[in-house]
Amino acid sequence: MGQTRISNAIRQLRFAAGEMTQQELADRVGVTRQTVHAIEAGKYSPSLEVAFRIAGVFKQPLESVFVYAAEPDVGRD
Amino acid sequence: MSASFEEKSVWIQLLSLFLVMGGYFVVAARMWDAGVTPIAAYVPLFAGAVVLLVVVQVAGHIVAAITSRQTGADERDRLIGWRAESNAAWILGVGVLLAIGGLAMSIDNLWVAHLLLAAMLLSELTKYALQLAYYRLGV
Repeated sequence: MGQTRISNAIRQLRFAAGEMTQQELADRVGVTRQTVHAIEAGKYSPSLEVAFRIAGVFKQPLESVFVYAAEPDVGRD
Repeated sequence: MSASFEEKSVWIQLLSLFLVMGGYFVVAARMWDAGVTPIAAYVPLFAGAVVLLVVVQVAGHIVAAITSRQTGADERDRLIGWRAESNAAWILGVGVLLAIGGLAMSIDNLWVAHLLLAAMLLSELTKYALQLAYYRLGV
């Protein structure tokens, strides 16, 4: 429970897309408005499929929308 | 953040189960205290509680459907449901083991039945409470 390690730029992207509402984004992605709210607030990490759909709505690459805050040692050889 | 239909549904199930089945246990305890021991005597009370539970839940869901935008459960709703169920299932397991122990010690069937019923009730109430916590605090 609590905050995930994945941050996102959905709020800024919605603003840049003419103040798209959470409900509009939810309808286009196929989730509830509450889920969009939870993702924006960092309380829920979406599945890859939903993450790609969100990025697709804004016509952005996935890494421009979601950023994973990895621990310093994670992913090193 | 306003609640989705799915979250309202969890609230309805939690409150109705707590009130109706809690009421059943209160009345059943009074019956037992008054010396009513045949398990068959509790069947009409239980059947009445189940019917009342269904009526209350149907009415509650009609109200929730009228006051909510229905989009169906999404992946977050399903994850919350699975995680809550997974974290609450042990309560029913403990109840079943206790009931088996009770049978081995030849305790009254009335106690065994109510032990199983209480375990099922507690497991469900815990599941709903966890779902609401995950909805509000994150999952």
